[in-house]
Amino acid sequence: MLEISELTRRFGDVTAVDGVSFDVLGGVLTGFVGGNGAGKTTTMRMVMGVLGIDAGEVRWHGRPVTPQDQRRFGYMPEERGLYPKQRVLDQLVYLGQLKGMSAGEAGRTAEEHLERFGLADRARSRVEELSLGNQQRVQVVAALLHGPTALVLDEPFSGLDPTAVDAMADLLRERCATGVPVLFSSHQLDLVEQLCDRLVILADGRVVAAGGADELRSQGPVRYRMTCEHDTGWLREVRGVHVVDLDGRSALLEVVEHGAEQVVLRDATARGAVHEFSLVRPALADIYREVATR
Amino acid sequence: MTTTTRPVRTDAPATTPEAATAPWLLVARREIVVRLTDKAFLFGTLFTILLICGFTGWQVYDASRTSEYTVTATPGDREMADRVAAEAPEDTVAVDVEPAADDAAARSLVLAGDADAWLHLGEDGWVLTTEDSENAGLTRVTQDVVRTAVLERQAEALGTTTAELEAGSEVSTSLLRGDARQSRLAEFVGFAFGFLFYIAALSFGYVIANSVVEEKQSRVVEIITTSIPVRHLLAGKIVGNSLIAILQMVLYAGIGLVGIALTEYSGLVTVVTGPVAWYLVFFVAGFAALAALWAAAGALASRTEDIQSTTAPLLMLVLAVFFAAMLVEGTARTVLSFVPPFSAVLMPTRLLEGGAAWWEAVVALVLLMATAVAIVGVAQRLYRRSLLQTGGRLSLRQAWSAPE
Repeated sequence: MLEISELTRRFGDVTAVDGVSFDVLGGVLTGFVGGNGAGKTTTMRMVMGVLGIDAGEVRWHGRPVTPQDQRRFGYMPEERGLYPKQRVLDQLVYLGQLKGMSAGEAGRTAEEHLERFGLADRARSRVEELSLGNQQRVQVVAALLHGPTALVLDEPFSGLDPTAVDAMADLLRERCATGVPVLFSSHQLDLVEQLCDRLVILADGRVVAAGGADELRSQGPVRYRMTCEHDTGWLREVRGVHVVDLDGRSALLEVVEHGAEQVVLRDATARGAVHEFSLVRPALADIYREVATR
Repeated sequence: MTTTTRPVRTDAPATTPEAATAPWLLVARREIVVRLTDKAFLFGTLFTILLICGFTGWQVYDASRTSEYTVTATPGDREMADRVAAEAPEDTVAVDVEPAADDAAARSLVLAGDADAWLHLGEDGWVLTTEDSENAGLTRVTQDVVRTAVLERQAEALGTTTAELEAGSEVSTSLLRGDARQSRLAEFVGFAFGFLFYIAALSFGYVIANSVVEEKQSRVVEIITTSIPVRHLLAGKIVGNSLIAILQMVLYAGIGLVGIALTEYSGLVTVVTGPVAWYLVFFVAGFAALAALWAAAGALASRTEDIQSTTAPLLMLVLAVFFAAMLVEGTARTVLSFVPPFSAVLMPTRLLEGGAAWWEAVVALVLLMATAVAIVGVAQRLYRRSLLQTGGRLSLRQAWSAPE
């Protein structure tokens, strides 16, 4: 388990990360969400030891993380880059060797991964000859190659086409299933919602929400959609609910007082036929917007 | 060059860092492979070798060819001309005599190009008249022979012999001659030392700085520094590039020594070999120190375009070493031959000139190596702290005090 505890980093007068704490559990895909400048990259760089820590600490399996631990993590930096002139496979073998693999193992594993990403035929190409999307895939392979003990991926999905997004998602799930803690940041909230078991939302250098997707949703507003035979304008007068949206016979209600929705339903059926009455699950994007601007 | 230096382990798990090749060695190996597959580098080396071969080849040819001259003389001066022809060292200068009836005929032979020179007795002694330029070889031979002949005649008149007149002078003359040859060679080899150091320090300097910036600019450095310690990355770069530079230097020095062995200076190869060996040792220490500085200078830049300005002080330093080796004389030269990095070139040159004792070389080497270690330490700090700063060019002070 990777524990991030009260991490703080200042750049001059600006506190980029301010007492951030959260856990990345083994076997749990943890999504790291936040706007530009929220402090995601700074946090991840501190976790990887690329950036110094002003206060707080990173713990690995219950003790302070060491550079040796960090070297066995898989890392994909926000700013992508490889040696432009070197051939893809040679480069992956070199990076694998730096992580302690033998040339043979690194070569075999690299070829397997390239195959998965549909890049097997580009193994002998120079990196600079690849499209940006393909360069990104190579970089993903570089992060996964050595069988990392934890994964820290900064925006692994950005720049990938839908096929590659699927391949990437499968890989992450697979790695995660072997008990490896996985932390990745993303702007693509729908993807995070679909993929993640756990979410950490960052705003202005602080954690504003953290937990399972359902858990976070349950913190959001409880809403019901109702469609009746008659006009629903009367709802505005009912206590305990707030009308979010009203369009003739259809309305979206937010429950302010617990149980008020049952009163509304009874009243509605008394007035005539009710065609629809359903709970509306808030999208992650709504929750994100709410906590991020709170 | 193979990519595997140890057997593939099939029984071990995917990552066992303890058993793997040391990271700095992997970095060094990559640097070497990259350099050895770089066409510009290979062509540059080939070109330099051709230059050295061409130069020594020309020297050998020039030394071995015989110059033939025709000298004309009137009957009265014929005896002296014949003697010049007889005593000329035929392997370098051969002299034929073309008789002329009188002064006018001799003059017209020279003007027509049928004779290279006219040897005649003038009012103050013998004169070698040529058309419009002197022939150095012929002049030297004629002077030697005429001097001997005249000395013999005058010695006879005095009732003595040339041998008696020259007794006591011959030994010192020949020693003077030997020294002159060695000092001319020393001057040339000393220049070669300075020049090769200058070329290597500069070309490899830029190569190292560029390879650091390439990693910074392409951001691959972030992946590498989360894989291996930064000091391994720096060490690998220095070791890899130094090895290539030294290999290149040994190649040049070897070809140069073989070249000298083929020239008239062949007897001096043994004299030169010692200083050349010293030079290589000094080169290693001096180059390693400079390589670390070049790596730090590369780390101060964020883009290739910044390199010119971050490496400018180093360019000055390398130029200073080169010009000091060429221009500084006397006590200043002796002092500088102990001061790193000047000692890297000046001490071997002084050894070559025969002006320094072995212990002086050892002292200079120890000083140079100590400085190299200190510089590597300083450069490592600059390198480590500026390596991940990608927001433009850093000043020395910024890099030194940057948070990690």
